[in-house]
Amino acid sequence: MKPAWFDYYAPRSLDEALRILADAGANGRVLAGGQSLMPMLNCRLLNPDVLVDINRIDGLNRLDDTQDGLTVGALVRHADLLHDHRVRESWPLLFEATKQVAHPAIRNRGTVCGSIAHNDPAAEHPSVLVTLGGTVVIAGAAGRRELPAEQFFTGILSNALQPGEMVVAVRYPRSPAGTGAGFVEFARRLGDFAIAGAAATLTVRDGVCERARLTIVGMGQGPVRARTAEDALTGRRLGDEGDEAFADAAEKAKAAVEPADDVHASAAYRRHLAGVMAKRALATALARAGAH
Amino acid sequence: MSDARFVNQKAVGSPVVPSEAIPLVEGDGRFLNDIRLPGMYHVAFLRSQHAHARIRSIDTAKACALPGVIVVLTGRELLGKVEPFRSMPNRFSGGESVQHWLALDKVRFCGEAVCAVVAEDRATAEDAAELIEVDYEPLPVVTDPRSGERDDAPLVHDSCPNNYLIKREYERGNVDEAFRDAHLVVKRQFKIGRKQALCLESRGCVAGYRESTFGLTMWISHQLPYVVRHYLARHLQLAENDIRVVVPHTGGGFGQKASIYPEEFVCAYLALQLRRAVKWVEDRLENMVASTHARDQSIEVAVAVDRDGQILALSSDVWVDVGAYSTYLWSAGMEPLQTAGLMPGPYKVPAMRYRTRGVATNKTPVGPYRAVGRPSASASLELLLDEVARRLEIDPVELRARNLIPVEAMPYRNANNLVHDNVNYLPCLKLAAAKVQYERLRAEQRQNGVDGKLRGIGVACYAELTGLGTSTAVGPGTLLQPGRDAVTLRMETTGVLSIAAALPSQGQRIMTAMRQVACDELGIALDDITCVNNDTAMAPYGFGTFASRTAVFGSGAVIQAAKELRRRILALGAHLLDVPVGDLTIVNSVVQTLDRSKSLPIRDMAEKSYFSAKNIPPELNPGFEVTSFYDPKFGSFAGGAHIAVVEVDAQTGEVTIVRYVAAEDVGTIINPAVVEGQIIGGIAQGIGEALLEELVYDETGQPRTVTLADYLVPSALEIPRIELHHANTPSAALGGFKGCGEGSIIGALGAVACAVADALSRQGGDIHDFPATPERVLKGLGVLAGEA
Amino acid sequence: MPREQNIRLTVNGKAYERTVPVRLSLADFLRDHLHLTGTHLGCEHGVCGACSVSMNGRSARSCLTLAVQADGAEIVTIEGLRAADGTRDPLQQAFLENFGLQCGYCTPGMLITAIELLRENPQPSEQDVREALSGNICRCTGYQAIVDSVLAVAREARASDKKKKETA
Repeated sequence: MKPAWFDYYAPRSLDEALRILADAGANGRVLAGGQSLMPMLNCRLLNPDVLVDINRIDGLNRLDDTQDGLTVGALVRHADLLHDHRVRESWPLLFEATKQVAHPAIRNRGTVCGSIAHNDPAAEHPSVLVTLGGTVVIAGAAGRRELPAEQFFTGILSNALQPGEMVVAVRYPRSPAGTGAGFVEFARRLGDFAIAGAAATLTVRDGVCERARLTIVGMGQGPVRARTAEDALTGRRLGDEGDEAFADAAEKAKAAVEPADDVHASAAYRRHLAGVMAKRALATALARAGAH
Repeated sequence: MSDARFVNQKAVGSPVVPSEAIPLVEGDGRFLNDIRLPGMYHVAFLRSQHAHARIRSIDTAKACALPGVIVVLTGRELLGKVEPFRSMPNRFSGGESVQHWLALDKVRFCGEAVCAVVAEDRATAEDAAELIEVDYEPLPVVTDPRSGERDDAPLVHDSCPNNYLIKREYERGNVDEAFRDAHLVVKRQFKIGRKQALCLESRGCVAGYRESTFGLTMWISHQLPYVVRHYLARHLQLAENDIRVVVPHTGGGFGQKASIYPEEFVCAYLALQLRRAVKWVEDRLENMVASTHARDQSIEVAVAVDRDGQILALSSDVWVDVGAYSTYLWSAGMEPLQTAGLMPGPYKVPAMRYRTRGVATNKTPVGPYRAVGRPSASASLELLLDEVARRLEIDPVELRARNLIPVEAMPYRNANNLVHDNVNYLPCLKLAAAKVQYERLRAEQRQNGVDGKLRGIGVACYAELTGLGTSTAVGPGTLLQPGRDAVTLRMETTGVLSIAAALPSQGQRIMTAMRQVACDELGIALDDITCVNNDTAMAPYGFGTFASRTAVFGSGAVIQAAKELRRRILALGAHLLDVPVGDLTIVNSVVQTLDRSKSLPIRDMAEKSYFSAKNIPPELNPGFEVTSFYDPKFGSFAGGAHIAVVEVDAQTGEVTIVRYVAAEDVGTIINPAVVEGQIIGGIAQGIGEALLEELVYDETGQPRTVTLADYLVPSALEIPRIELHHANTPSAALGGFKGCGEGSIIGALGAVACAVADALSRQGGDIHDFPATPERVLKGLGVLAGEA
Repeated sequence: MPREQNIRLTVNGKAYERTVPVRLSLADFLRDHLHLTGTHLGCEHGVCGACSVSMNGRSARSCLTLAVQADGAEIVTIEGLRAADGTRDPLQQAFLENFGLQCGYCTPGMLITAIELLRENPQPSEQDVREALSGNICRCTGYQAIVDSVLAVAREARASDKKKKETA
């Protein structure tokens, strides 16, 4: 399983990387962590003509936590998030989701932005970005633009990047006070791709849900925002365990997804799990909101 | 380091740290892919993407023209030059399955090798393979045995009507009467999914032309070096001693590396043609389709019992999806015959009947994998017994106790014609139940309704016939039958004792085991004993490492040879020390009188024997090399009882094993730490079978589980801490040894399958398709629609 | 664009400079170019963990890393775990004494991963150990002896720390 030939570049500046990408067009690929890309190359499922290795570019590995939110540069590894106390303390949804990514060696090399750009439907990061209302910072020959997460994810393994563009950072805005978050995922073994998962945040004041966010993972097309579930929860009084409200939200989440059949799970099972995961993520979010 | 671990001054029974592990822990192993020879070429295979197709044409021109490519071989070039593999499935069926080394007119499974590309490096060979153009005419496919055996099904082999590669019916005792008169008959259907051994190191070979010998040297990741040599000689028309087969360090075998495959034989052919070393390493994508699969049984089984739950008769109908070819050497008979024939296990079965079929399909051929048909057979009967227990309201452990062959009844001939002797089935069950505190577990289970989790307890008892001698066939119709292996003991010129056997190790520490036995038999210090077990040039004939036989054969042959060698050493010692033979013994590599007044180190005796022989009477210096063939005649039964406790998440269907107790009888133990490792390793694979592992094909014969992200084997989180206990009794083989490599996987599949079914039964649910994936569990609970 | 590039890196404390094909993996570079065959290939798609090495102080799948990406890097492989005088790393010794290996194919990855675990968490629970090792597949041992080997090293370290404190 040796990859086919490709031209390899390791530019030292972002401009140079973008220029090479622009020249390569559809046949170029960015190599950051390589934990998703290299398996595909080794299996010859993908045969890009050009690899642009961005690991030598300065400034892409910034992890900034400011008033406005968290900015995660293109070369920030999953492991960097887990080792950063600011993420552990202030960004629980991101922290918990990152813990579920694969295994230590993969987390040491794999990048957050890489995972987001790759948009595997079973991956954790896309759903967290959507749930937190984050944005994707894109650079191309024409300059920079910033897209809301939901506009960035366009379908299974697809994104809104134009040829010659790459993700340079993602931004997560701060959640309002009184917000609790929960990330749960169901996989056959720890670290496997999620068969189904859910990312939830609940902003609760005086026992009433002011804002709800719920995104379902693993359904086959990318992160699915369960808007009808969110709407049903907003303004609702949540009891100690929110059982009834969450059961209802789970049903709505199940109705919102169009899960795929594959060798790991049938569509029916996925849909069922979507409901189970939604309930569990919401329960965790409520417990954490209460702790504030 | 080795001596410090001796127990009661004896090597056998001590957890001696094996010296053969040292290079492995230091990164200094020599696995197949580590072998590099000057000028060596690399092979990549172009494999069929069709499950069943006629090959109209193959155009290799572009591939041949790629710089770095040496030659591209197709089946056509081999025609007439080498004999394909012809496997007579069995004397129970008339069809022959012919397997060309490279597909000739047809491809019969996805992954079948079509062309061999030889290049200067592997990556270039793969580049070239992509440039080969094959014109296929797709043919209708057969993808399951039930439809495959119908008269209107497409044929995988024209020579095999109804796609039967093997079919057998068997009956003993009055089965119909037993079913008629029974107090209760329980009938169930089970499906056990397709598996593969998933050795962490996949297959591979380096075929060397005039490397290390003047003929062909074959380095091959394999379990049976002499068997490989035999077939190379036959198929390549070479003299056997022009062929040397060497097995490097091997990263797992489990039976998958015990078949004879086309790829390595193509490499041998190429090496002779090109007069260069040729290397092929099977990568993981290849391994998923090119190395033998296992299991994939559909089992209909019925048991008739009396009002006490005692078995009166067993009846089964088995279909095995054996893939596209009858595996070379073993034939398609292995899984079908063993699944049906060995189903009684350790239980008294007075009458039995079975019909079993190995049906060819357009999938990867099925070959032997750890315990072959026994796990599936055992799990089926155990699940059936639990159903009997529920209906008759007898405790499952009690029910099994009533049915296990007791020691008092041995030797006991079961309805499948196997004679059970020297094995502790019932003591193992009692021990397991005691250690797990079974009564308390059941009481807790009765009281509980735990927060969405269902608790289940599963019990499985197994019988495992190990160390088969010549009177017991591995399988009727198999091309070669094991049964006698040889070991050579030699006192070397420096006084070291060397052991040579063709019993290669894949981690079982066979070398250290034989050294431990030799140490006790001869009185030579363990550090003065070495062993070579992987090289046909250095070892006498041995069938190889397979079917849990090396402890019995290796040790038995060592014991036999040691007897004669000791006699010679003491005879010469008596002469050199001028004392009666009866006064002498050997302790710690020193020949000495019992009162220790006179002594002669073996080292000195060796030097005299080899280099100063002048004054030694020739009859006392016959050479200190003894080769002994050992045939234990019968097999040695190992046995055990496993009890698993699981928790089922009724929302997700996830199964967690919360407790696992195993009580085993593995005879006289040579190295307890090695044995423990074998048992736990087998349990881990059984847990994988029960919960995780499954090879899936779609209806066009395309494999859908093609990477390790699809085929799931247990990680450290899926295997609980195993509590292991022993109720050993010696076998009748020399030394009292038994094999322990395969028994535990049988117990594990049964125990976990029963535990899941038990958990589901708490809510009136059921499961009969395994592995018990979360989805099947939810179907079994009625949470999801469909059959489980 | 040239199909080969020059790289300079340190492996097990020794500096190397080589010209390599750009598509060559770090695993194949170590094995075929430097003859450090202790790092094993079990899948070449990042799942089995047998190819794990330490790259700039962190474990990495060498099958998913290009050799050219290791330019300027510090690599440690299983061959580099022994001290200069040949003494085994305590973990290697523990694997030997606790039978933490059978066929030995997964061992390189297990050692690299376990060393990283013990560095970050010197007193892991059994669950911690199993979780850390869950990305390294073993088909022979059923993991128990491997887990026991790691716990044995932690226990030894704890005992020797205690001794140091007592004698201080």
